[in-house]
Amino acid sequence: MKKQTILYVLLAAVLVGGIVGYQLWNKPHQDIAAAKTDVAVDATALYNEYNTDENAANAKYLDKVVAITGKVKDASKDADGAVKVNLDAGSEMGVVACELSPFAKHARTEFQPGEQVTFKGKCTGLNLDVVFVECVESK
Amino acid sequence: MQKLIVAFFALFLLGTTAHAQKYFTRDAKVKFSSETPMEKIEALNKSGTCVLDVATGKMEWKVLIKGFLFEKALMQEHFNENYMESSSFPNAQFKGQITNLSEINFTQDGKYNVKTTGKMTIHGVERDVNIEGTLKVSKGTLEVLSNFVIKPEDYKIAIPSLVKDNIAKEIKVVVSTTLAPLKS
Repeated sequence: MKKQTILYVLLAAVLVGGIVGYQLWNKPHQDIAAAKTDVAVDATALYNEYNTDENAANAKYLDKVVAITGKVKDASKDADGAVKVNLDAGSEMGVVACELSPFAKHARTEFQPGEQVTFKGKCTGLNLDVVFVECVESK
Repeated sequence: MQKLIVAFFALFLLGTTAHAQKYFTRDAKVKFSSETPMEKIEALNKSGTCVLDVATGKMEWKVLIKGFLFEKALMQEHFNENYMESSSFPNAQFKGQITNLSEINFTQDGKYNVKTTGKMTIHGVERDVNIEGTLKVSKGTLEVLSNFVIKPEDYKIAIPSLVKDNIAKEIKVVVSTTLAPLKS
């Protein structure tokens, strides 16, 4: 009888462990649309911050949910249907590039040059551009 | 006087041809995969940059580590926090030089094999590497494709023994993009 109880307890522990492990393993990507915005910034201001002091900007923006507002410079869709919207950053060369999230649904995927938009996304740092991934449009 | 004019034009022509023509992209795709009997892991980054100077054959590639997206959020988290330490080492880059530049005609449509040598920096570790690929000249743009292999241990990327059978010793990397002339 006692042996049986121990067996059941063990079995239950393994089961719970398995479920927790499985859920952790299949943890979904962060729901950016529902996530709280950590910091909101204008595309040109952000780009200038990055080009003034990259380390300071990284400390401020990396891994944060950032709401980024700017004017669309151009937008493109690749062969996989992935959309990237480049925001004007007040520079000839660089832009603030926003990759729409492949993990989220989007109300629209067409963006016209010149329109003012706000995206929420994750800042990945400065390449030539400041690049955001997992973006969703914010109303 | 005539000689002077000829000399002037010769100089002018020389000046324009010697003017470095650069090609550029901000949309390079960098994909890597690790395959073991235990597990297949893939990640893709769509915002790599490349600047290629066709006059000298010098090239620079750069990609942001946090821009690699995985199907599984947990893998993406481990990749950034445990393996690549992307907050300390936010990018990877390759600075190199085409070594068979004379075999490539950038103005003649066609497919060319490209050999490069240079320095690869990943996880803060710089190494000398030779990387090959193909380049297709098509209507003034350059389509680039390269497959190569990265060994995590070469770049001091520590894989915990618990998961060492899940992660390949050799990570396959595919870089593909189309470079367009850079207007300067």
